Amino acid sequence: MEQKKAYTKNAIVLSVFLAIICLCSLLALILPAEKGNSYIADIYQDGALIMSLPLQEEEDRVFTITGENGCRNQVEIRSGSIGICWADCPDKLCVGQGFIKDSRLPITCLPNRLVIQLRPTADSHKDAPDPDIITH
Amino acid sequence: MSTKKLTLLALFTTLSLALYAAESAIPPLVPLPGIKLGLANIITLILLRHFSVRDAAVVLSARVALSALLFGQALSLLYSLAGGFFSLLVMALVMKLLRRKLLFLTGAMGGLAHNTAQLLTALAVTSTPGVLAYLPFLVLSGVSTGLFTGLCAQLAGRYLLPYLPKKYTPPPES
Repeated sequence: MEQKKAYTKNAIVLSVFLAIICLCSLLALILPAEKGNSYIADIYQDGALIMSLPLQEEEDRVFTITGENGCRNQVEIRSGSIGICWADCPDKLCVGQGFIKDSRLPITCLPNRLVIQLRPTADSHKDAPDPDIITH
Repeated sequence: MSTKKLTLLALFTTLSLALYAAESAIPPLVPLPGIKLGLANIITLILLRHFSVRDAAVVLSARVALSALLFGQALSLLYSLAGGFFSLLVMALVMKLLRRKLLFLTGAMGGLAHNTAQLLTALAVTSTPGVLAYLPFLVLSGVSTGLFTGLCAQLAGRYLLPYLPKKYTPPPES
């Protein structure tokens, strides 16, 4: 009887732990991220920042990023969004992640150790949009 | 190791390898690295429950090595090792705490441990803190797929029990 009690208690503690972790994750997904008006795409390879592109100002183009060991990813900028349109990695998950323009979730190509991450431009942290007109 | 046990463990290795292969044939539902069903975990759970931690570790090592040889790249070996062994450790502990019952809870904890370890490996490989943004997705997918594989292992164990040598069967369920 004593033993049974012990394992029931453990089960309850574990369930509560799992429930809390899951709730926190759900909250993290639902809560809105820091929003900006424009974003800068930081491209990292092997943890080093290799490019910073202000998305609103960039023209639409396609370029290739070649890693140290010759791995290649073709990155495309298309009307203010960025994505990987072709890669020589085996799983192609990075291509499947599509194009992002204001997502807090980075695009990651694990086999080629490439990460594209967005951050709001420094001067676009305003909660309210700019006034249309100011009169005196 | 007796011949009978060797044969049984080899059989379980084959089974988990087959599950692993079947799973990699399913196209990814969510295009995020690290989100998958983890069917091979069913075998680890069954071994942990009806055999021992040592046997589960032997079969896991064999499966990881063989899958890397057959389908893998060097990098996926690293992820499999980190995720597999950390979840094995956690599941062995939880299995003990729960007296080999409520396997779905053990599975969920294992899934969580697996995905956390893989994300930390990804963090080490890419050395970009940005990949931590995937944590909520990986936690949720780890727990839910873990619940599923745990349930599978529980049900499979029920049908497997009569065919296992008496020595390996756990005390009857209350």
